[in-house]
Amino acid sequence: MIEIKDLSIDLDEFHLKNINLSIGHREYFVILGPTGAGKTVLLECIAGLHRIKQGEIWINGDNITHLPPEERKIGYVPQDYVLFPFLKVADNIAFGLKEAKFSKTEIAERVQSLANLMAITHLLNRDTRSMSGGEKQRVALARALALSPKILLLDEPLGALDLQTAKYLRLELKRIHDELGIITIHITHDQTEAEEIADRLGILNLGELEQVGIPDEVFFYPDNAIVSDFIGSPNILECDRCSSLGQGLMEVDCGGLRIVIPHDGNSIERIALFPRDIYISDTQPPGPHMNRFKGMITDIKPSGTTERLLVKVGDKTLQTEIPRDISEDMELTVGKEVFLILKLKRIKVYECKCNHKQTEKPI
Amino acid sequence: MTSLLKGIGGDRAFKGATISALVLLAIFIVSIIISMLAYTDWNTFISALLSEEILFAIRLSLITATIATIIAILIAIPVAYAISYAKFPGKDLVDSMLDLPIVISPVALGAILLVFFNTPLGASIDDNLIKFVFAVPGIILAQVVVISALAIRLLKSTFDSIDLRYEQVARTLGLSKVRAFIKVTLPLAKDGLIAAAILTWARAIGEFGATVTLAGATAMKTETLPVAIFLSLASADVEKAIAVIFLLVIIAVIALLIMRKITRKRYQI
Repeated sequence: MIEIKDLSIDLDEFHLKNINLSIGHREYFVILGPTGAGKTVLLECIAGLHRIKQGEIWINGDNITHLPPEERKIGYVPQDYVLFPFLKVADNIAFGLKEAKFSKTEIAERVQSLANLMAITHLLNRDTRSMSGGEKQRVALARALALSPKILLLDEPLGALDLQTAKYLRLELKRIHDELGIITIHITHDQTEAEEIADRLGILNLGELEQVGIPDEVFFYPDNAIVSDFIGSPNILECDRCSSLGQGLMEVDCGGLRIVIPHDGNSIERIALFPRDIYISDTQPPGPHMNRFKGMITDIKPSGTTERLLVKVGDKTLQTEIPRDISEDMELTVGKEVFLILKLKRIKVYECKCNHKQTEKPI
Repeated sequence: MTSLLKGIGGDRAFKGATISALVLLAIFIVSIIISMLAYTDWNTFISALLSEEILFAIRLSLITATIATIIAILIAIPVAYAISYAKFPGKDLVDSMLDLPIVISPVALGAILLVFFNTPLGASIDDNLIKFVFAVPGIILAQVVVISALAIRLLKSTFDSIDLRYEQVARTLGLSKVRAFIKVTLPLAKDGLIAAAILTWARAIGEFGATVTLAGATAMKTETLPVAIFLSLASADVEKAIAVIFLLVIIAVIALLIMRKITRKRYQI
């Protein structure tokens, strides 16, 4: 278990203010925040890379606040992986083991077993400079895990990867964590990544930890306006009626919007959907009309590199989010008619507490 | 006038002017070197080069420049590392002070050293520890003072190009600060270190001003290659001077070619 108590630090560009955080045994904890929030600094403090003048860090009951990094038994994978370019892959993985004076046989066995875990046995004799981002990430992970650390720190581990590789490695990270069962602290600015991988997450903004909780709790019940602004408030739609379509699908009517949801349980009381999970198109999308609605833009607000749009569909107003450059390409303006496509898998369902499997009011 | 330099015509004129300047400079350097050949013939050149005095100067220059380079690099590694990574008050001032030997005339540096060895502390060192004034250790000291600033600058730029995170990662893998420096930073700086050593060595071989002021210009005693040129010219022995000049040019060209080869294959960090 790791405990951070009243940690504050002031560096030239970043600072942390009164960070209090407790992360449990075997937990996968994600620190989520915008660029410049101080996420990397927090990770570096845990790794022992900054001198801490205020606050304490405890690991499994030991105060490690002033321990040098080499004595903390922490595995660290920095952003861009920072593999040693003058060493082959196998030597990168064995680097810490050689320093700890393991025998040659032990080192060879450990390197082989880590290479198996990371599926990189074919890369062991390769030069690290000629590898892809995904391969480098696996090697950096193997190197960090070589000394069987108590805690694994991952700094934006998927940030430099293409979408497909990042999605695959997200699952891999979770698998490796579950297999090894060590505390993992993963930092990212990507909400989807955080939501999919975290047991719990913390929102860090301008050096302050704004909220800690399980993903659903943080995303759907933000503690304050800062968290709400960062993650964007979800669209919450009260359901007037719902009916089972069979084959695990249910149709709900929310103020005239008929939405099909993969759900096989009690009646649905309301649904929630984040702005980023509603696609927007200026032309009618091809295919079936399910979960697609025509609406009119009533407001456009810039938010970082994105724009948040309010779109009136029937009696309801839905909030959606779109990268600014795409919005400019589509020449979106208030009053323009657009089509909304709801991302089926991302719809969050709140069941009726009445314990009814049957639909009360068929549509 | 400025309108004439706009568009494709302007681009061509600019390119032509810069390339002309480059070609003219190259012609100038090559022609002044070749022009020396007019003063001598091959046999005189070889016999001058193999004379006892010049062979002594070659040997003394090689030994003193090598020792001076080793000392300068050993000083420059920690100093350049500190300037590159450490944060302390007055760092900019210290950094600027270290450049003084580059901008001050070597003769002035030699004079400063000579004056120092006339103070009670300096005289005591000179009398009781090592004899520097008008002696071979004085050549090495003069060379070290002149080349160490250059070595520090070159190594600082090498350390600046190495991301500190390499060391940080090494530390999380169980290495102390010193071990991380030796096992990670030095291997990453290897090419920069070799390049700095070659350049400073070549500079030490050619050092004259500080050397002649502190160690003097005594034939067959403190006679390095540049001092040999000075003594040959002073005694109107132009052939001997030309032989040594050619030798220095060849050493410089080889050093620069090796440098170019090394800097091309540096790690992409």
